[in-house]
Amino acid sequence: MIGDRTAVTRFPAGQAAEDGRLVRSARAGDESAFARLYDRYGRVVHALLLARVRREDVDDLVQDVFLTAWRRLEDLRDPAAFGGWIATIARHRATDAHRRAAEFVELPADVAGPGAASDEAEAHAALDAIRSLPDAYRETLMLRLVEGLTGPEIAQRTGLTPASVRVNLHRGMKLLRGTLERVRGPEPGKVSPDT
Amino acid sequence: MNDDRWNDDYLWDGRGTPDEEIVRLEARLARFRHRAALAPLPPRRAPARFAVQAALQLAAAAASLVLVAAAAWFAFTVRSSGWTVQALAGAPAVAGTAIATPSRVPIGETVTTDGRSRARIDVSTIGFVDVEPDSRVRLLASRAGEYRLALDRGEIRARIWAPPRRFFVNTPSSTAIDLGCAYTLRVDEHGAGRVLVESGWVAFEHNGRESFIPQNAVCATRPGAGPGTPCYTDAPAGIEAALTILDFSSTDDVRRAAALETVLSRARVKDAFTLWHLLSRGTRAERERVYQRLASLVPPPAGVTRERILAGDRRARDAWWNALGLDTASWWRIWKRKW
Repeated sequence: MIGDRTAVTRFPAGQAAEDGRLVRSARAGDESAFARLYDRYGRVVHALLLARVRREDVDDLVQDVFLTAWRRLEDLRDPAAFGGWIATIARHRATDAHRRAAEFVELPADVAGPGAASDEAEAHAALDAIRSLPDAYRETLMLRLVEGLTGPEIAQRTGLTPASVRVNLHRGMKLLRGTLERVRGPEPGKVSPDT
Repeated sequence: MNDDRWNDDYLWDGRGTPDEEIVRLEARLARFRHRAALAPLPPRRAPARFAVQAALQLAAAAASLVLVAAAAWFAFTVRSSGWTVQALAGAPAVAGTAIATPSRVPIGETVTTDGRSRARIDVSTIGFVDVEPDSRVRLLASRAGEYRLALDRGEIRARIWAPPRRFFVNTPSSTAIDLGCAYTLRVDEHGAGRVLVESGWVAFEHNGRESFIPQNAVCATRPGAGPGTPCYTDAPAGIEAALTILDFSSTDDVRRAAALETVLSRARVKDAFTLWHLLSRGTRAERERVYQRLASLVPPPAGVTRERILAGDRRARDAWWNALGLDTASWWRIWKRKW
Protein backbone atom coordinates (compact mmCIF):
# COMPACT_ATOMS: atom_id res chain seq x y z
CA MET A 1 0.00 0.00 0.00
CA ILE A 2 1.48 3.30 -1.04
CA GLY A 3 0.93 6.28 1.19
CA ASP A 4 1.39 5.71 4.87
CA ARG A 5 3.27 2.44 4.63
CA THR A 6 2.98 1.84 8.33
CA ALA A 7 -0.80 1.80 8.08
CA VAL A 8 -2.45 -1.08 9.88
CA THR A 9 -6.15 -1.74 9.60
CA ARG A 10 -7.72 -2.12 13.00
CA PHE A 11 -11.32 -1.29 13.56
CA PRO A 12 -12.42 0.28 16.83
CA ALA A 13 -13.35 -2.46 19.28
CA GLY A 14 -16.90 -1.29 19.81
CA GLN A 15 -17.57 -1.02 16.11
CA ALA A 16 -15.99 -4.40 15.38
CA ALA A 17 -18.15 -6.00 18.04
CA GLU A 18 -21.24 -4.37 16.61
CA ASP A 19 -20.24 -5.54 13.13
CA GLY A 20 -19.86 -9.05 14.52
CA ARG A 21 -23.36 -8.97 15.96
CA LEU A 22 -24.80 -7.70 12.71
CA VAL A 23 -22.99 -10.35 10.69
CA ARG A 24 -24.26 -13.12 12.95
CA SER A 25 -27.80 -11.80 12.64
CA ALA A 26 -27.44 -11.53 8.90
CA ARG A 27 -26.19 -15.08 8.71
CA ALA A 28 -29.43 -16.11 10.35
CA GLY A 29 -31.29 -14.34 7.56
CA ASP A 30 -31.85 -10.93 9.17
CA GLU A 31 -31.87 -8.60 6.19
CA SER A 32 -32.19 -5.49 8.34
CA ALA A 33 -28.90 -6.35 10.04
CA PHE A 34 -27.25 -6.62 6.66
CA ALA A 35 -28.83 -3.33 5.61
CA ARG A 36 -27.14 -1.70 8.61
CA LEU A 37 -23.82 -3.06 7.42
CA TYR A 38 -24.61 -1.62 4.03
CA ASP A 39 -25.35 1.76 5.58
CA ARG A 40 -22.06 1.62 7.44
CA TYR A 41 -19.82 0.45 4.60
CA GLY A 42 -21.71 1.35 1.41
CA ARG A 43 -19.81 4.61 0.96
CA VAL A 44 -16.49 2.91 1.58
CA VAL A 45 -17.18 0.29 -1.06
CA HIS A 46 -18.46 2.97 -3.43
CA ALA A 47 -15.32 5.03 -2.96
CA LEU A 48 -12.99 2.07 -3.48
CA LEU A 49 -14.77 1.21 -6.70
CA LEU A 50 -15.03 4.78 -7.93
CA ALA A 51 -11.28 5.05 -7.51
CA ARG A 52 -10.77 2.21 -9.95
CA VAL A 53 -13.59 1.51 -12.41
CA ARG A 54 -15.82 3.35 -14.84
CA ARG A 55 -18.21 5.64 -13.06
CA GLU A 56 -21.21 4.20 -14.86
CA ASP A 57 -20.40 0.74 -13.53
CA VAL A 58 -19.89 1.70 -9.92
CA ASP A 59 -23.47 1.51 -8.66
CA ASP A 60 -23.94 -1.95 -10.08
CA LEU A 61 -20.64 -3.12 -8.68
CA VAL A 62 -21.52 -1.84 -5.22
CA GLN A 63 -24.59 -4.03 -5.34
CA ASP A 64 -22.52 -6.95 -6.64
CA VAL A 65 -20.07 -6.59 -3.80
CA PHE A 66 -22.75 -6.61 -1.13
CA LEU A 67 -24.64 -9.41 -2.83
CA THR A 68 -21.44 -11.44 -2.86
CA ALA A 69 -20.92 -10.69 0.81
CA TRP A 70 -24.51 -11.66 1.62
CA ARG A 71 -24.03 -14.99 -0.09
CA ARG A 72 -20.65 -15.65 1.45
CA LEU A 73 -21.19 -14.55 5.02
CA GLU A 74 -20.43 -18.10 6.11
CA ASP A 75 -16.93 -17.72 4.67
CA LEU A 76 -16.11 -14.85 6.99
CA ARG A 77 -14.29 -16.57 9.82
CA ASP A 78 -14.22 -13.55 12.11
CA PRO A 79 -17.55 -11.74 11.91
CA ALA A 80 -15.98 -8.70 13.55
CA ALA A 81 -13.70 -8.34 10.54
CA PHE A 82 -16.53 -7.48 8.18
CA GLY A 83 -15.19 -4.00 7.35
CA GLY A 84 -11.86 -5.25 6.06
CA TRP A 85 -13.47 -8.20 4.36
CA ILE A 86 -15.98 -6.16 2.36
CA ALA A 87 -13.22 -3.77 1.31
CA THR A 88 -11.17 -6.70 0.05
CA ILE A 89 -14.12 -8.01 -1.94
CA ALA A 90 -14.58 -4.55 -3.43
CA ARG A 91 -10.94 -4.27 -4.45
CA HIS A 92 -10.98 -7.71 -6.05
CA ARG A 93 -14.22 -6.90 -7.82
CA ALA A 94 -12.75 -3.66 -9.12
CA THR A 95 -9.67 -5.46 -10.38
CA ASP A 96 -11.84 -8.00 -12.11
CA ALA A 97 -14.04 -5.34 -13.68
CA HIS A 98 -11.05 -3.32 -14.78
CA ARG A 99 -9.44 -6.37 -16.34
CA ARG A 100 -12.61 -7.03 -18.30
CA ALA A 101 -12.81 -3.47 -19.56
CA ALA A 102 -10.25 -3.02 -22.29
CA GLU A 103 -11.23 0.60 -22.49
CA PHE A 104 -11.51 2.97 -19.59
CA VAL A 105 -13.12 5.85 -21.36
CA GLU A 106 -15.53 8.21 -19.69
CA LEU A 107 -17.92 10.25 -21.74
CA PRO A 108 -16.26 13.53 -22.69
CA ALA A 109 -17.08 16.19 -20.17
CA ASP A 110 -16.17 19.16 -22.28
CA VAL A 111 -18.82 18.91 -24.93
CA ALA A 112 -21.44 21.13 -23.39
CA GLY A 113 -21.31 24.87 -23.13
CA PRO A 114 -20.24 27.09 -20.27
CA GLY A 115 -22.00 27.41 -16.91
CA ALA A 116 -23.31 24.21 -15.42
CA ALA A 117 -21.42 22.22 -18.01
CA SER A 118 -18.10 23.68 -16.91
CA ASP A 119 -18.88 22.60 -13.35
CA GLU A 120 -19.36 19.10 -14.58
CA ALA A 121 -16.19 19.22 -16.65
CA GLU A 122 -14.33 20.39 -13.58
CA ALA A 123 -15.86 17.59 -11.54
CA HIS A 124 -14.76 14.99 -14.06
CA ALA A 125 -11.29 16.48 -14.24
CA ALA A 126 -11.02 16.35 -10.45
CA LEU A 127 -12.26 12.77 -10.39
CA ASP A 128 -9.70 11.78 -12.99
CA ALA A 129 -6.98 13.56 -11.06
CA ILE A 130 -7.84 11.66 -7.87
CA ARG A 131 -7.86 8.41 -9.79
CA SER A 132 -4.35 9.11 -10.99
CA LEU A 133 -3.00 9.15 -7.43
CA PRO A 134 -1.49 6.15 -5.62
CA ASP A 135 -4.02 3.75 -4.08
CA ALA A 136 -3.91 4.90 -0.48
CA TYR A 137 -4.29 8.55 -1.41
CA ARG A 138 -7.04 8.13 -3.95
CA GLU A 139 -9.11 5.90 -1.70
CA THR A 140 -8.82 8.28 1.22
CA LEU A 141 -9.52 11.35 -0.90
CA MET A 142 -12.52 9.68 -2.51
CA LEU A 143 -13.93 9.09 0.95
CA ARG A 144 -13.23 12.66 2.02
CA LEU A 145 -14.07 14.68 -1.08
CA VAL A 146 -16.66 12.53 -2.82
CA GLU A 147 -18.36 10.62 -0.03
CA GLY A 148 -18.13 13.52 2.39
CA LEU A 149 -16.69 11.61 5.34
CA THR A 150 -14.42 13.36 7.81
CA GLY A 151 -10.99 12.02 8.64
CA PRO A 152 -12.13 10.40 11.91
CA GLU A 153 -15.06 8.78 10.10
CA ILE A 154 -12.72 7.45 7.44
CA ALA A 155 -10.52 5.94 10.11
CA GLN A 156 -13.51 4.35 11.77
CA ARG A 157 -14.81 2.79 8.59
CA THR A 158 -11.57 1.67 7.00
CA GLY A 159 -9.78 0.43 10.08
CA LEU A 160 -6.83 2.70 9.39
CA THR A 161 -5.43 4.63 12.30
CA PRO A 162 -6.44 8.29 12.46
CA ALA A 163 -2.79 9.21 12.03
CA SER A 164 -2.55 7.18 8.82
CA VAL A 165 -5.69 8.73 7.45
CA ARG A 166 -4.45 12.19 8.25
CA VAL A 167 -1.16 11.52 6.53
CA ASN A 168 -2.90 10.08 3.48
CA LEU A 169 -5.26 13.02 3.27
CA HIS A 170 -2.50 15.54 3.64
CA ARG A 171 -0.08 13.99 1.17
CA GLY A 172 -2.83 13.02 -1.22
CA MET A 173 -4.26 16.54 -1.25
CA LYS A 174 -0.84 17.94 -1.90
CA LEU A 175 -0.41 15.66 -4.89
CA LEU A 176 -3.93 16.43 -6.05
CA ARG A 177 -3.35 20.17 -5.98
CA GLY A 178 -0.26 19.70 -8.09
CA THR A 179 -2.07 17.47 -10.55
CA LEU A 180 -4.96 19.89 -10.90
CA GLU A 181 -2.64 22.81 -11.41
CA ARG A 182 -0.89 20.97 -14.18
CA VAL A 183 -4.23 20.18 -15.80
CA ARG A 184 -5.66 23.67 -15.72
CA GLY A 185 -2.50 25.72 -15.43
CA PRO A 186 -1.60 27.87 -12.44
CA GLU A 187 -3.98 30.68 -11.59
CA PRO A 188 -2.40 34.11 -11.86
CA GLY A 189 -0.98 35.23 -8.56
CA LYS A 190 -1.65 31.95 -6.80
CA VAL A 191 1.19 30.22 -5.05
CA SER A 192 1.31 26.48 -5.18
CA PRO A 193 1.89 24.68 -1.91
CA ASP A 194 4.56 22.74 -3.77
CA THR A 195 6.54 25.84 -4.55
CA MET B 1 3.68 18.50 7.27
CA ASN B 2 5.30 21.59 8.64
CA ASP B 3 6.65 22.60 5.26
CA ASP B 4 3.24 23.00 3.74
CA ARG B 5 1.52 26.30 3.41
CA TRP B 6 -2.03 25.39 4.24
CA ASN B 7 -3.68 24.29 7.39
CA ASP B 8 -5.26 20.87 6.97
CA ASP B 9 -7.73 21.03 9.87
CA TYR B 10 -10.52 21.62 7.42
CA LEU B 11 -9.36 18.71 5.29
CA TRP B 12 -9.19 16.51 8.38
CA ASP B 13 -12.53 17.07 10.02
CA GLY B 14 -14.18 20.09 8.44
CA ARG B 15 -13.22 22.39 11.31
CA GLY B 16 -11.00 25.41 11.08
CA THR B 17 -10.76 27.84 8.24
CA PRO B 18 -12.30 26.37 5.10
CA ASP B 19 -9.77 25.81 2.36
CA GLU B 20 -11.16 27.40 -0.78
CA GLU B 21 -10.00 24.68 -3.13
CA ILE B 22 -11.21 21.84 -0.94
CA VAL B 23 -14.61 23.45 -0.58
CA ARG B 24 -14.76 23.80 -4.33
CA LEU B 25 -13.77 20.17 -4.85
CA GLU B 26 -16.35 18.99 -2.33
CA ALA B 27 -19.05 20.91 -4.15
CA ARG B 28 -18.06 19.58 -7.56
CA LEU B 29 -17.47 15.98 -6.52
CA ALA B 30 -20.60 15.55 -4.40
CA ARG B 31 -22.47 14.61 -7.57
CA PHE B 32 -20.60 11.29 -7.60
CA ARG B 33 -21.52 10.44 -4.01
CA HIS B 34 -22.99 7.07 -3.10
CA ARG B 35 -26.75 7.29 -2.76
CA ALA B 36 -28.19 3.99 -3.91
CA ALA B 37 -30.15 1.87 -1.47
CA LEU B 38 -29.38 -1.78 -0.95
CA ALA B 39 -30.99 -3.87 -3.64
CA PRO B 40 -33.41 -6.64 -2.61
CA LEU B 41 -31.53 -9.63 -1.27
CA PRO B 42 -32.11 -13.22 -2.35
CA PRO B 43 -32.98 -15.77 0.33
CA ARG B 44 -29.96 -17.00 2.17
CA ARG B 45 -28.87 -20.60 2.01
CA ALA B 46 -29.16 -22.69 5.12
CA PRO B 47 -26.27 -22.00 7.51
CA ALA B 48 -23.29 -24.19 6.84
CA ARG B 49 -23.51 -26.11 10.09
CA PHE B 50 -26.93 -27.39 9.12
CA ALA B 51 -25.65 -28.24 5.70
CA VAL B 52 -22.77 -30.15 7.23
CA GLN B 53 -25.10 -32.08 9.52
CA ALA B 54 -27.34 -32.90 6.64
CA ALA B 55 -24.37 -33.95 4.60
CA LEU B 56 -23.16 -36.27 7.33
CA GLN B 57 -26.56 -37.87 7.67
CA LEU B 58 -26.79 -38.39 3.97
CA ALA B 59 -23.20 -39.41 3.42
CA ALA B 60 -23.74 -43.13 3.81
CA ALA B 61 -26.70 -43.20 1.48
CA ALA B 62 -24.96 -40.97 -1.02
CA ALA B 63 -21.86 -43.11 -1.07
CA SER B 64 -23.80 -46.01 -2.45
CA LEU B 65 -24.91 -43.84 -5.33
CA VAL B 66 -21.53 -42.42 -6.19
CA LEU B 67 -20.26 -45.30 -8.25
CA VAL B 68 -23.49 -45.53 -10.17
CA ALA B 69 -23.59 -41.79 -10.78
CA ALA B 70 -19.96 -41.68 -11.79
CA ALA B 71 -20.46 -44.43 -14.29
CA ALA B 72 -23.50 -42.71 -15.72
CA TRP B 73 -21.72 -39.36 -15.87
CA PHE B 74 -18.73 -40.91 -17.58
CA ALA B 75 -20.87 -42.61 -20.17
CA PHE B 76 -22.89 -39.46 -20.78
CA THR B 77 -19.86 -37.22 -20.98
CA VAL B 78 -17.99 -39.42 -23.36
CA ARG B 79 -20.97 -39.60 -25.64
CA SER B 80 -21.99 -35.98 -25.37
CA SER B 81 -18.68 -34.11 -25.40
CA GLY B 82 -18.96 -31.94 -28.47
CA TRP B 83 -21.96 -31.48 -30.67
CA THR B 84 -23.35 -33.30 -33.68
CA VAL B 85 -22.79 -31.68 -37.06
CA GLN B 86 -24.47 -32.69 -40.28
CA ALA B 87 -24.31 -31.35 -43.80
CA LEU B 88 -27.34 -29.47 -45.10
CA ALA B 89 -25.76 -28.71 -48.46
CA GLY B 90 -22.41 -29.25 -50.13
CA ALA B 91 -19.51 -30.52 -48.06
CA PRO B 92 -18.94 -28.63 -44.84
CA ALA B 93 -15.73 -29.52 -43.06
CA VAL B 94 -14.80 -30.33 -39.51
CA ALA B 95 -11.17 -29.70 -38.68
CA GLY B 96 -10.55 -29.27 -42.38
CA THR B 97 -12.01 -32.64 -43.37
CA ALA B 98 -15.28 -32.76 -45.30
CA ILE B 99 -18.06 -34.63 -43.52
CA ALA B 100 -20.38 -36.94 -45.35
CA THR B 101 -22.46 -38.23 -42.45
CA PRO B 102 -23.50 -36.71 -39.11
CA SER B 103 -20.35 -36.40 -37.03
CA ARG B 104 -19.35 -35.52 -33.52
CA VAL B 105 -17.32 -32.33 -33.23
CA PRO B 106 -15.23 -32.08 -30.09
CA ILE B 107 -14.92 -28.88 -28.12
CA GLY B 108 -12.17 -26.72 -29.53
CA GLU B 109 -12.73 -27.90 -33.09
CA THR B 110 -13.81 -25.84 -36.07
CA VAL B 111 -16.66 -26.17 -38.55
CA THR B 112 -16.20 -24.41 -41.88
CA THR B 113 -18.42 -24.03 -44.90
CA ASP B 114 -17.44 -22.92 -48.39
CA GLY B 115 -19.55 -20.91 -50.81
CA ARG B 116 -21.83 -23.83 -51.57
CA SER B 117 -22.11 -25.70 -48.31
CA ARG B 118 -24.22 -25.39 -45.20
CA ALA B 119 -24.20 -27.32 -41.94
CA ARG B 120 -26.43 -27.85 -38.94
CA ILE B 121 -25.00 -28.10 -35.45
CA ASP B 122 -27.21 -29.65 -32.80
CA VAL B 123 -26.43 -27.74 -29.63
CA SER B 124 -26.81 -30.50 -27.10
CA THR B 125 -30.52 -30.66 -26.34
CA ILE B 126 -31.18 -26.92 -26.32
CA GLY B 127 -31.48 -26.09 -30.00
CA PHE B 128 -29.57 -25.98 -33.23
CA VAL B 129 -27.44 -23.63 -35.26
CA ASP B 130 -27.37 -23.57 -39.03
CA VAL B 131 -24.02 -22.52 -40.44
CA GLU B 132 -24.50 -20.66 -43.69
CA PRO B 133 -22.04 -20.61 -46.66
CA ASP B 134 -18.55 -19.13 -46.29
CA SER B 135 -18.55 -19.35 -42.52
CA ARG B 136 -16.20 -20.46 -39.79
CA VAL B 137 -17.48 -21.54 -36.39
CA ARG B 138 -15.56 -22.85 -33.40
CA LEU B 139 -17.06 -24.85 -30.55
CA LEU B 140 -15.87 -23.40 -27.27
CA ALA B 141 -17.90 -24.93 -24.45
CA SER B 142 -20.66 -27.44 -23.91
CA ARG B 143 -21.69 -27.99 -20.34
CA ALA B 144 -24.75 -27.48 -18.23
CA GLY B 145 -25.45 -23.78 -18.10
CA GLU B 146 -23.03 -22.76 -20.81
CA TYR B 147 -23.12 -23.63 -24.46
CA ARG B 148 -20.74 -21.39 -26.33
CA LEU B 149 -19.36 -21.09 -29.81
CA ALA B 150 -17.42 -18.48 -31.71
CA LEU B 151 -18.44 -17.11 -35.08
CA ASP B 152 -15.22 -15.92 -36.66
CA ARG B 153 -16.81 -15.02 -39.98
CA GLY B 154 -19.88 -15.77 -42.01
CA GLU B 155 -23.43 -16.30 -40.83
CA ILE B 156 -25.34 -18.52 -38.43
CA ARG B 157 -29.03 -18.92 -37.78
CA ALA B 158 -29.69 -20.00 -34.20
CA ARG B 159 -32.86 -21.53 -32.83
CA ILE B 160 -32.56 -21.99 -29.10
CA TRP B 161 -35.27 -23.13 -26.74
CA ALA B 162 -33.21 -23.32 -23.56
CA PRO B 163 -33.84 -20.89 -20.72
CA PRO B 164 -32.24 -17.49 -21.26
CA ARG B 165 -28.50 -17.04 -20.85
CA ARG B 166 -27.47 -20.56 -21.67
CA PHE B 167 -26.28 -20.08 -25.22
CA PHE B 168 -23.53 -17.64 -26.16
CA VAL B 169 -21.89 -16.74 -29.43
CA ASN B 170 -18.57 -14.92 -29.28
CA THR B 171 -17.85 -12.64 -32.21
CA PRO B 172 -14.75 -10.52 -32.77
CA SER B 173 -16.56 -7.48 -31.41
CA SER B 174 -19.28 -8.65 -29.01
CA THR B 175 -20.80 -11.61 -27.28
CA ALA B 176 -24.36 -12.49 -28.27
CA ILE B 177 -26.32 -13.83 -25.33
CA ASP B 178 -29.43 -15.78 -26.12
CA LEU B 179 -32.42 -14.81 -24.05
CA GLY B 180 -34.70 -17.46 -25.53
CA CYS B 181 -35.02 -16.77 -29.19
CA ALA B 182 -34.26 -17.29 -32.84
CA TYR B 183 -31.85 -15.03 -34.60
CA THR B 184 -29.44 -14.61 -37.47
CA LEU B 185 -25.94 -13.36 -36.79
CA ARG B 186 -23.46 -12.32 -39.46
CA VAL B 187 -19.79 -11.39 -39.09
CA ASP B 188 -17.82 -9.95 -41.99
CA GLU B 189 -14.14 -10.32 -42.77
CA HIS B 190 -13.33 -7.24 -40.68
CA GLY B 191 -15.02 -8.64 -37.59
CA ALA B 192 -18.03 -6.35 -37.80
CA GLY B 193 -21.29 -8.07 -36.94
CA ARG B 194 -25.04 -7.66 -37.28
CA VAL B 195 -27.81 -9.56 -35.60
CA LEU B 196 -31.42 -9.86 -36.72
CA VAL B 197 -33.74 -11.21 -34.05
CA GLU B 198 -36.68 -13.19 -35.36
CA SER B 199 -38.25 -14.11 -32.04
CA GLY B 200 -37.52 -13.51 -28.38
CA TRP B 201 -34.58 -11.38 -27.27
CA VAL B 202 -30.83 -11.26 -27.79
CA ALA B 203 -28.35 -9.26 -25.78
CA PHE B 204 -25.08 -8.00 -27.19
CA GLU B 205 -22.35 -7.28 -24.69
CA HIS B 206 -18.78 -6.08 -24.89
CA ASN B 207 -16.73 -4.60 -22.05
CA GLY B 208 -19.82 -3.58 -20.14
CA ARG B 209 -21.55 -1.96 -23.11
CA GLU B 210 -24.89 -3.68 -23.62
CA SER B 211 -27.62 -3.70 -26.20
CA PHE B 212 -30.95 -5.48 -25.87
CA ILE B 213 -32.48 -6.49 -29.15
CA PRO B 214 -36.13 -7.54 -29.33
CA GLN B 215 -37.96 -9.48 -32.00
CA ASN B 216 -37.92 -7.84 -35.44
CA ALA B 217 -34.98 -5.63 -34.56
CA VAL B 218 -31.39 -5.46 -35.76
CA CYS B 219 -28.19 -4.36 -34.12
CA ALA B 220 -24.67 -3.89 -35.44
CA THR B 221 -21.41 -4.44 -33.62
CA ARG B 222 -17.89 -3.33 -34.49
CA PRO B 223 -14.43 -4.29 -33.27
CA GLY B 224 -13.13 -1.77 -30.82
CA ALA B 225 -16.54 -0.28 -30.24
CA GLY B 226 -18.77 -3.17 -29.25
CA PRO B 227 -22.50 -3.31 -29.80
CA GLY B 228 -24.30 -0.48 -31.49
CA THR B 229 -27.81 0.78 -30.99
CA PRO B 230 -30.62 -1.55 -32.03
CA CYS B 231 -33.60 -0.51 -34.11
CA TYR B 232 -36.62 -2.21 -35.60
CA THR B 233 -36.36 -3.52 -39.13
CA ASP B 234 -39.30 -1.33 -40.09
CA ALA B 235 -37.79 1.79 -38.54
CA PRO B 236 -38.29 4.94 -40.65
CA ALA B 237 -35.85 5.36 -43.50
CA GLY B 238 -32.45 6.64 -42.54
CA ILE B 239 -32.52 5.67 -38.88
CA GLU B 240 -30.33 2.58 -39.12
CA ALA B 241 -27.72 4.41 -41.19
CA ALA B 242 -27.80 7.34 -38.80
CA LEU B 243 -27.29 5.00 -35.87
CA THR B 244 -24.23 3.57 -37.56
CA ILE B 245 -22.71 7.05 -37.58
CA LEU B 246 -23.66 7.75 -33.98
CA ASP B 247 -22.41 4.39 -32.73
CA PHE B 248 -19.15 4.07 -34.56
CA SER B 249 -17.85 7.55 -35.40
CA SER B 250 -15.70 9.75 -33.21
CA THR B 251 -17.47 12.39 -31.19
CA ASP B 252 -16.05 15.16 -33.38
CA ASP B 253 -17.35 13.65 -36.61
CA VAL B 254 -19.23 16.38 -38.48
CA ARG B 255 -21.92 13.94 -39.58
CA ARG B 256 -23.14 13.29 -36.06
CA ALA B 257 -25.41 16.31 -35.73
CA ALA B 258 -27.37 15.43 -38.84
CA ALA B 259 -27.47 11.76 -37.87
CA LEU B 260 -28.88 12.57 -34.47
CA GLU B 261 -31.43 14.90 -36.00
CA THR B 262 -32.54 12.10 -38.33
CA VAL B 263 -33.00 9.64 -35.47
CA LEU B 264 -34.79 12.06 -33.17
CA SER B 265 -37.06 13.60 -35.75
CA ARG B 266 -38.14 10.32 -37.29
CA ALA B 267 -38.42 8.14 -34.20
CA ARG B 268 -41.87 6.80 -33.45
CA VAL B 269 -43.17 5.83 -30.03
CA LYS B 270 -42.30 2.29 -31.03
CA ASP B 271 -38.68 3.40 -31.48
CA ALA B 272 -38.38 4.56 -27.88
CA PHE B 273 -36.23 1.54 -27.07
CA THR B 274 -33.71 2.78 -29.63
CA LEU B 275 -33.58 6.19 -27.98
CA TRP B 276 -33.29 4.49 -24.59
CA HIS B 277 -30.00 2.95 -25.67
CA LEU B 278 -28.75 6.35 -26.80
CA LEU B 279 -29.30 7.77 -23.31
CA SER B 280 -26.01 6.27 -22.25
CA ARG B 281 -24.04 6.87 -25.43
CA GLY B 282 -22.49 9.78 -27.22
CA THR B 283 -21.66 13.18 -25.89
CA ARG B 284 -23.51 14.89 -23.09
CA ALA B 285 -25.02 17.38 -25.51
CA GLU B 286 -26.33 14.53 -27.63
CA ARG B 287 -27.69 12.69 -24.63
CA GLU B 288 -29.52 15.81 -23.51
CA ARG B 289 -31.30 15.96 -26.83
CA VAL B 290 -32.08 12.24 -26.66
CA TYR B 291 -33.50 12.72 -23.18
CA GLN B 292 -35.82 15.47 -24.38
CA ARG B 293 -37.06 13.49 -27.35
CA LEU B 294 -37.54 10.25 -25.44
CA ALA B 295 -39.38 12.15 -22.72
CA SER B 296 -41.76 13.48 -25.36
CA LEU B 297 -42.45 9.95 -26.61
CA VAL B 298 -42.55 8.08 -23.32
CA PRO B 299 -42.57 10.33 -20.26
CA PRO B 300 -40.04 9.21 -17.66
CA PRO B 301 -41.57 7.58 -14.59
CA ALA B 302 -41.62 9.33 -11.25
CA GLY B 303 -38.16 9.78 -9.83
CA VAL B 304 -36.40 9.48 -13.16
CA THR B 305 -35.01 12.93 -13.69
CA ARG B 306 -32.95 14.53 -16.39
CA GLU B 307 -30.09 14.90 -13.92
CA ARG B 308 -30.07 11.22 -13.00
CA ILE B 309 -30.18 10.13 -16.60
CA LEU B 310 -27.42 12.48 -17.69
CA ALA B 311 -25.36 11.43 -14.72
CA GLY B 312 -25.47 7.87 -16.04
CA ASP B 313 -27.68 6.50 -13.26
CA ARG B 314 -28.34 2.95 -14.39
CA ARG B 315 -31.26 2.49 -12.02
CA ALA B 316 -32.96 5.48 -13.53
CA ARG B 317 -32.38 4.11 -17.01
CA ASP B 318 -33.73 0.73 -15.97
CA ALA B 319 -36.83 2.36 -14.50
CA TRP B 320 -37.43 4.18 -17.77
CA TRP B 321 -36.94 0.93 -19.68
CA ASN B 322 -39.70 -0.60 -17.60
CA ALA B 323 -41.96 2.24 -18.71
CA LEU B 324 -41.39 1.49 -22.40
CA GLY B 325 -43.81 -1.41 -22.26
CA LEU B 326 -41.39 -3.94 -23.74
CA ASP B 327 -40.36 -5.96 -20.77
CA THR B 328 -38.90 -5.18 -17.41
CA ALA B 329 -35.20 -4.65 -17.00
CA SER B 330 -35.12 -7.02 -14.07
CA TRP B 331 -35.11 -10.16 -16.19
CA TRP B 332 -31.87 -9.04 -17.69
CA ARG B 333 -30.30 -7.94 -14.42
CA ILE B 334 -31.30 -11.19 -12.74
CA TRP B 335 -29.83 -13.35 -15.45
CA LYS B 336 -26.81 -11.21 -15.95
CA ARG B 337 -23.54 -12.92 -15.13
CA LYS B 338 -20.03 -12.79 -16.43
CA TRP B 339 -19.55 -14.05 -19.93
